[in-house]
Amino acid sequence: MPLSPGQWLGHAAGEGPRCYDGAKLIRFCAADFNRTSWEHPFLIEFSDVGLRYGNGPEILKDLTFSIEPGSFHFLTGPSGAGKTSLLRLLLLSTKPSRGKVTMFGEDVGNLDQDSLLQMRRHIGIVFQEFRLLDHLTTFENVALPLRVLGQPESEYRPNVIELLEWVGLGERMHALPTLLSGGEKQRAAIARAVIARPKVLLADEPTGNVDPDLSSRLVHLFAELNRTLGMTIILATHELPLLDRFAYPRMVLNKGELTIHD
Amino acid sequence: MIRQLLTLVPRRGGGAPIVPEKSVAGRTLLLLVTIMAFLSAVTLGGVILVQKSAIAWSADVGRELTIQIRPMEGEVMDSNLRTAVSLAQSTPGVANARALTIEESQALLEPWLGAGLDLSAIAIPRLVVVQLSDPAEADIEQLQRNLSAIKGASLDTHAAWRQQLNTMAGTVVLSGLLVLGLIGVATVLAIIFATRGAMATNREIVDVLHFIGASNKFIAGEFQGRFLSIGLQGGFLGALLAILFFLLIGTAAGSVLPSEATAQVGALFGQFLLGWEGMAFILAVVPVIAVLTAITSRTTVRRYLSEAS
Repeated sequence: MPLSPGQWLGHAAGEGPRCYDGAKLIRFCAADFNRTSWEHPFLIEFSDVGLRYGNGPEILKDLTFSIEPGSFHFLTGPSGAGKTSLLRLLLLSTKPSRGKVTMFGEDVGNLDQDSLLQMRRHIGIVFQEFRLLDHLTTFENVALPLRVLGQPESEYRPNVIELLEWVGLGERMHALPTLLSGGEKQRAAIARAVIARPKVLLADEPTGNVDPDLSSRLVHLFAELNRTLGMTIILATHELPLLDRFAYPRMVLNKGELTIHD
Repeated sequence: MIRQLLTLVPRRGGGAPIVPEKSVAGRTLLLLVTIMAFLSAVTLGGVILVQKSAIAWSADVGRELTIQIRPMEGEVMDSNLRTAVSLAQSTPGVANARALTIEESQALLEPWLGAGLDLSAIAIPRLVVVQLSDPAEADIEQLQRNLSAIKGASLDTHAAWRQQLNTMAGTVVLSGLLVLGLIGVATVLAIIFATRGAMATNREIVDVLHFIGASNKFIAGEFQGRFLSIGLQGGFLGALLAILFFLLIGTAAGSVLPSEATAQVGALFGQFLLGWEGMAFILAVVPVIAVLTAITSRTTVRRYLSEAS
């Protein structure tokens, strides 16, 4: 049985986010994320999707798959297999050269810029290199997506503090990223990715810059987000020990072709 | 001070500025905006000085007429002078009329003929200075008709001279406005280049904001806030320097130039005194430069973001 974030941090069990109706912290409750709240059977559907940049060779070939709400998938494959390109498609930062991508029941190809932007706000992203803004404190970095949504600080402050405590950065919220360790930076990046309640969380090699022990702990954190919040997660990694330790379905890319192993 | 004032303005959603307050591009732009604001304010101040002086000159000259009586054979100059004075005084709208004494007339000729000459042997034209109480109501045509009875008398209203002065002042004002326009164009171009530089420097911030779902409008707004702050600071500094410049040059003109030259320069520029009105115009450069900086940078940022996405 996976550890709860509280146990993961060495706290007593049950110290995770408090979820109760009518409270501000409702955003972190599973109700918004669990599969019964989603009217479509699939959150993401790819149908014969191909991707090439300019006149170059096809990087992704005939991808056809679907992702259920609340699922957790590893995305793996050798370097250059197309993992980052697939994540770019999922992040809506690029469009397929052919085929159809459906997200949240909408054909992405038919959406205008505003609709794509609205959809992107339901997708969180965690990068290998953290990409925190160095001139902002940990708290300010995590709060950024809520500021973008126009929430006043008085409204988002308690939520950000709670999430920071939940990922074990309560004591470090006023520190600048340059003073954080690699693991702390990645936990801050994860908190930033989930603070605005995305339905999908993408992670591009999130354990690439931390030691193996910390890698495992970080994946535990992703697993907890998936389990307690029902968040759909696609985590790209090429670390085989991680894949063996966690029994989640694997999306394996090889030379642009995808196979899924349950 | 401007920066402290800006901190009082509530930020969208609160929190620290997303675009760093200090960056190399920001400092360069601040210096640039300061210089441009200074040049604009000095040009504007110069235009105001010339216009104020021209209006004052025109008004002074417009309140005065000169009757010239040339010496004529068979005419008694003193008698003609008295007649001219009394004709002028009886004209509606005339405050007073006075014939220049022979000494005053000689003093007027001194710059051309030199001092110390005995002019008593030469018959020189004599002048009657007529002060008007109200130039609009003065019946100059009646005075002109009446003066035709005096042989050798002519009336000079200085109209041609005033027209030349107005043309000169208008040309200076137009040239100043043209220079202001050119400074404005140069400012816009410089801000465009500086903004693109700042955007390139802050590319990582733009990327992160895009990834977390920020719209181009939001990102442009964040950068606009930063540039508005730079525009306000630069505009304020430039205007302050321009005011100091006018104060210094006014003091320097009084103390460095010889008294005759000071009088001439003073006659032209009114002792470089801008007055409260002039100061207000110079301070008006601050919001204009700030808004120009903000609008230009917002347009540039949005175009940059469109190209990037």
